Amino acid sequence: MSQDIRKWFMKQHEKGTGNGNTSKPTKPSTPEKPTAVTSQPEKLVQGVQECSGRRKTSKYFAKDGQSAKDEMDVEEVSAKKKGQRGSTEFVSDVKPPPGKKTHKLEMDDEDEDFVTPTSRKGSTTPNKKLKSGSGKGVAQKMVDEIDEGDGGKVKSNSKSVGSGRGRGAKGSSITPTTAEGMDVDESDAEDMDDKDAKSVKPGGRGRGGRGAPAGGRGRGGGGRGGFMNFGERKDPPHKGEKEVPEGAADCLDGLTFVISGTLDSLEREEAEDLIKRHGGRVTGSVSKKTNYLLCDEDIGGRKSAKAKELGQVLIFFFLFFTGFLTEDGLFDMIRASNKSKPKTSVKDSKKLVDKVAPSPPKKSPQKSEKSKQAGDVSSDTKVLASAAVSSKRKSEPSAQNLLPWTEKYRPKVPNDIVGNQSLVKQLHDWLVHWNDQFLNTGKKGKGKKQNDAGAKKAVLLSGTPGIGKTTSAKLVSQMLGFRAIEVNASDSRGKADAKIEKGIGGSTSNSIKELVSNEALSLNMERSQHPKTVLIMDEVDGMSAGDRGGVADLIASIKISKIPIICICNDRYSQKLKSLVNYCLLLSFRKPTKQQMAKRLSHIANAEGLQVNEIALEELAERVNGDIRMALNQLQYMSLSMSVIKFDDIKQRLQSSSKDEDISPFTAVDKLFGFNGGKLRMDERIDLSMSDPDLVPLLIQENYINYRPNAAGKDDNGMKRMSLLARAAESIGDGDIVNVQIRRYRQWQLSQIGSLASCIIPAALLHGQRETLEQVIDAVFMPIMFHYNVYSLGERNYNRFGGWLGKNSTMGKNYRLLEDLHVHLLASRESNLGRATLRLDYLTILLKRLTDPLRMLPKDEAVEKVVEFMDLYSISMEDFDTIMEMSKFKGHPNPLDGIQPAVKAALTRTYNKGSSSRVVRAADLITLPGLKKAPKKRVAAMLEPIDDNIAGENVENEEETPSDTEDQEDDDDLVDPEKKLQSNLESLNSKGIKVQMDLKGSGSSSARKVSSGRGKGSASTSDKKGVVGVLGLLRKERDDISIYKPQVFFLLPLHFGKNDGLCY
Amino acid sequence: MLWVDKYRPKTLDKVLVHQDIAQNLKKLVTEQDCPHLLFYGPSGSGKKTLIMALLRQLFGASADKVKVENKNWKVDAGSRTIDVELTTLSSTHHVELSPSDAGFQDRYVVQEIIKEMAKNRPIDTKGKKGFKVLVLNEVDKLSREAQHSLRRTMEKYSSSCRLILCCNSSSKVTEAIRSRCLNMRISAPTEGENFCDTKVRRQLFQPMSMYIVKVLEFIGKKEGLQLPSGFADRIAQQSNRSLRRAILSFETCRVQQYPFTTNQPIPPMDWEEYVSEIASSIFKEQSPKRLFEVRGKLYELLINCIPPEIILKRLLYELLKKLDSELKHETSHWAAYYEHRLRLGQKAIFHLEAFVAKFMSIYKGFLIETFG
Repeated sequence: MSQDIRKWFMKQHEKGTGNGNTSKPTKPSTPEKPTAVTSQPEKLVQGVQECSGRRKTSKYFAKDGQSAKDEMDVEEVSAKKKGQRGSTEFVSDVKPPPGKKTHKLEMDDEDEDFVTPTSRKGSTTPNKKLKSGSGKGVAQKMVDEIDEGDGGKVKSNSKSVGSGRGRGAKGSSITPTTAEGMDVDESDAEDMDDKDAKSVKPGGRGRGGRGAPAGGRGRGGGGRGGFMNFGERKDPPHKGEKEVPEGAADCLDGLTFVISGTLDSLEREEAEDLIKRHGGRVTGSVSKKTNYLLCDEDIGGRKSAKAKELGQVLIFFFLFFTGFLTEDGLFDMIRASNKSKPKTSVKDSKKLVDKVAPSPPKKSPQKSEKSKQAGDVSSDTKVLASAAVSSKRKSEPSAQNLLPWTEKYRPKVPNDIVGNQSLVKQLHDWLVHWNDQFLNTGKKGKGKKQNDAGAKKAVLLSGTPGIGKTTSAKLVSQMLGFRAIEVNASDSRGKADAKIEKGIGGSTSNSIKELVSNEALSLNMERSQHPKTVLIMDEVDGMSAGDRGGVADLIASIKISKIPIICICNDRYSQKLKSLVNYCLLLSFRKPTKQQMAKRLSHIANAEGLQVNEIALEELAERVNGDIRMALNQLQYMSLSMSVIKFDDIKQRLQSSSKDEDISPFTAVDKLFGFNGGKLRMDERIDLSMSDPDLVPLLIQENYINYRPNAAGKDDNGMKRMSLLARAAESIGDGDIVNVQIRRYRQWQLSQIGSLASCIIPAALLHGQRETLEQVIDAVFMPIMFHYNVYSLGERNYNRFGGWLGKNSTMGKNYRLLEDLHVHLLASRESNLGRATLRLDYLTILLKRLTDPLRMLPKDEAVEKVVEFMDLYSISMEDFDTIMEMSKFKGHPNPLDGIQPAVKAALTRTYNKGSSSRVVRAADLITLPGLKKAPKKRVAAMLEPIDDNIAGENVENEEETPSDTEDQEDDDDLVDPEKKLQSNLESLNSKGIKVQMDLKGSGSSSARKVSSGRGKGSASTSDKKGVVGVLGLLRKERDDISIYKPQVFFLLPLHFGKNDGLCY
Repeated sequence: MLWVDKYRPKTLDKVLVHQDIAQNLKKLVTEQDCPHLLFYGPSGSGKKTLIMALLRQLFGASADKVKVENKNWKVDAGSRTIDVELTTLSSTHHVELSPSDAGFQDRYVVQEIIKEMAKNRPIDTKGKKGFKVLVLNEVDKLSREAQHSLRRTMEKYSSSCRLILCCNSSSKVTEAIRSRCLNMRISAPTEGENFCDTKVRRQLFQPMSMYIVKVLEFIGKKEGLQLPSGFADRIAQQSNRSLRRAILSFETCRVQQYPFTTNQPIPPMDWEEYVSEIASSIFKEQSPKRLFEVRGKLYELLINCIPPEIILKRLLYELLKKLDSELKHETSHWAAYYEHRLRLGQKAIFHLEAFVAKFMSIYKGFLIETFG
């Protein structure tokens, strides 16, 4: 495969320049297959392969002296090569021109990258000229240098010449991009200007590919940079637009990749998958073993910096860091492998690999054996091995085969246990010393020993299921000759019943007690029969309900126990075990790493004659989430149908398992609506939509309009899209109807149909590219948790959080307020109207009667008139606000416009003054036990504080203090802060600063505080919590700010919120 | 006091509109026992007024002395107890409530609360009648289950209790309930004689009801207002044949500007104005973006407590105003379709949006077909 890589590089080179100097390497890129090429290139190829071979082995043995040996090997080979090679440009590699170093010093860091290789290449003059230039020039130069870098790679490995090697490679990787005129040097700063620049801070990648495109925009906008950086990776700019190549199965074998930043067309997961499928390895961070850093844009982030650094430093470690690679490069690599396939068969190439990598010294035999197997064997040992394997395979189908592998390969000795060896050792030691410590020592010594920290009478093993706790416990005790008595959840473990305790051991707990207390006796008397006994209490955290007092009893048992007790639990921090942990030696088992598991699995696979490469096994280990039993079962199952298991097989087989829990509703929606949403299988779609059956439909509903459906195809007038939308909308409606059936009539069997209608069908109709709908009017959808819709910057192209929850909550609140008003009106006995009627018909006139006088008449007269009217209809001040609130429509003038704050204040004052003398009509709402006559206001006031307590008495009080959820502002106070806010906004806006504001929605008191805090301006608003408002408004929208007062509402279960005033 | 309340007829004799029905009702309750009654008709036609007048006829002035109670009921429903909060308006002789306020728990309201109320004989036995009256509002909004539970109650406790049901549409009241009641259709009053285009219609309506215009003129006279000619007509025209609406907007005009001028604008209801804006924005453009904007506006209406059915109805009305006649039928069909689904469902916005999307799709197709 490295051959293929080689080929790719050469191709690049050829494309890039007609530099005659490098004529030799160009040859392989000519149509002929590598085998047909002249001997020299072939050798080069070999060299490369050798490299990779060595690379592979030393990947495993990178540590200690091993590397030294490797070094030797390689040096040898390379020396050989050198001799054969004659005086090509590689000579210049061997003897770096003296100028190189000075060059290096002269250049700044970035330039250095590109320059060094050039300088190395002393003889190629055109490049030298270009060297100091940037942009296109660099691009070209780079192309030249690919070869150099590549050739250099071969050698520099052995020669430690090449700090320049990594550089050269980097240049090569960048070439494709430079062809587009990108200035590599300045990628970080300048591609921001580029419209297409999709740069993302690699550091800022987070969950599921959503979130702030902050990197890009932030930097583009100057000072706003850091704001949204917690956000995440962007979508690939050309997502799904490129054809993903299919290559030879293991063309990337032995290569280690690190992916950084956003790739051009692949999601990170896809890229990972692609690499793995072709035998490559993907790690999270750059290390010595990294071969390639896969990235499409810069980058400038930590990974690339580290990669560069490594490229420099690690030369000395003979490292394998070959360079930066773009996605296209990766594709080419894979494609190249495919092309070369028919000509040089896999075997050949593998042979080559093997030849060049002559059996590396084996420190851990098993691993090397593995690699050999992967290489499919040409050396003698390998032939033998394979023979052995095949023979094994043939001889196998005998009796043993009948056993499940989990049984067959159950660890026989503690050393077989995968992972947690130190804990097993600890357990072993503890058990060994138990008798000494607690039994055989004399009475004097006992107390002293118990003070010893290590000396606990019981041990508590904790860890997730399936990682071998029970097995360890059993094995260790078995090895030490203990007789294990296991008590688990299937036994009743309650507190021993007093009655039974005396007599026959009816329940297990009693027998335990007996066992525990009598052991000393039996120990003395029947030592020969049952030398030692250990009690294994399995699943102690499962002791609940039925096992009343179980833990307490267990502790008591531990105290008196004369045998060791091993307790096993899953969650050692469980409340139930709180008291127990004090009496136990705590051993926390961890999940074995995937490498550990893969190792063991490959043992077993070998023994069974199954060919599985390590990557595949690691994938398997990852998928089963540490459960080796499950891994074995899967493996056995697969072994029935195939003898060679590849990465893809495992991926396919375990597709649905594991990883499920990672799906957030947002990712689910992303996937469903994604470009490839149409290719998902039905069960996958159902899984996705079921990841949160409540939230996903809401997200779908919120966002489906934003997708430009693939299905519409060419759609000039948008007609197809519109009709698809209509269909989707109807289907969403269906989903709602089904949901009613499910919830109201508990028809849970319909839930699949529900998710089909509400999620899958709309997504199937509309999946495609998401686009933003420039939205000026409505900005209420402020998904605070995950997104910031910053409207000043245009809507962000990410799925919004469902607006329904918020709207519904506001609606609920308003209905409550309306109901209050309704009750008051009814109580006034002036009118008998329904709630709907009140809203639909009465509200307009009520509003008029309440506000018009304030606007037109002189202050005192107006106030008097309005208060009179309010009294007549028992409208309280809160109701007044309700009416105002409910008459507000977006885009319409505020009903309170034109009313002087002073007038409003006067109204409030007058109303409050009158309230003491006023006969409260609504007071007759109160019925008190024993009181026939309705109490007057004073009584009502007395009752107020205990309102809640006598809720059973059906107290309804008009003058009730405003309920917690309503927020009310005294409108006179309101105006000023609003203005302040606005001015603040303007100033902030001009500076391009985004301000996060917390608005507290926890009730009227805080809201009041805010409005009264007019002096503080935005500072006062910022002490509200629960709502994050983003100030960053279009100039024209700003006019509306004063219209909308901050309105706060709650969402379940999170405190989302909106702030009308700020959103607009 | 608002004119609507001020000039609301207090007794059956004083009823201006639907005098014939009022007289019949009077005869009904004076001469014999009162059956269960079902009043249905569009809003603003006078159902509530008639009911109140009827109660007054039955129980005298004591029917006026109502108190409002906001009660929490604990209903024992099998394994769990359900809290139902309900506002009731009660006098010694009657209780008025809107069971549909309890949402999907209305079944428990009917099964437990109403039954409880119906069981108890009125405390005050010296009253003329040996029964109490339960007035149930918005019966058409009751769920099917609730209506089923209601019919048993109606039969079982008929000796001690009469039900007066009030709703807009009798079609949403089950057959079983309708057959147990004396159905009173209260039709919307006609705007005025000028609106009766044919003589036949004029004759048809004249004896049965008075015109809205007449009522407005009556109020104007009582208030001592100068009504310019045609002004009352315009109000009546805008009122959509709802007397209440007419009187309210009459008063709104009065508050806004007096003396009246002939072409004084009659302020529309805030929400109706908003709906008509939505309609025109739909006509202007049919695109996903516009759909999204419309969604925002619909949310706005819903938040302001406008019932979704009303929104849909009004929206259809506004759309039909400007629509080509070919599309009217189809649009109405879909409106009905989505209105039905709206009731089946729970999240109103989904269905409203679906209707808008459907309409946009149809209309866009139509435009493209017609104008290319």
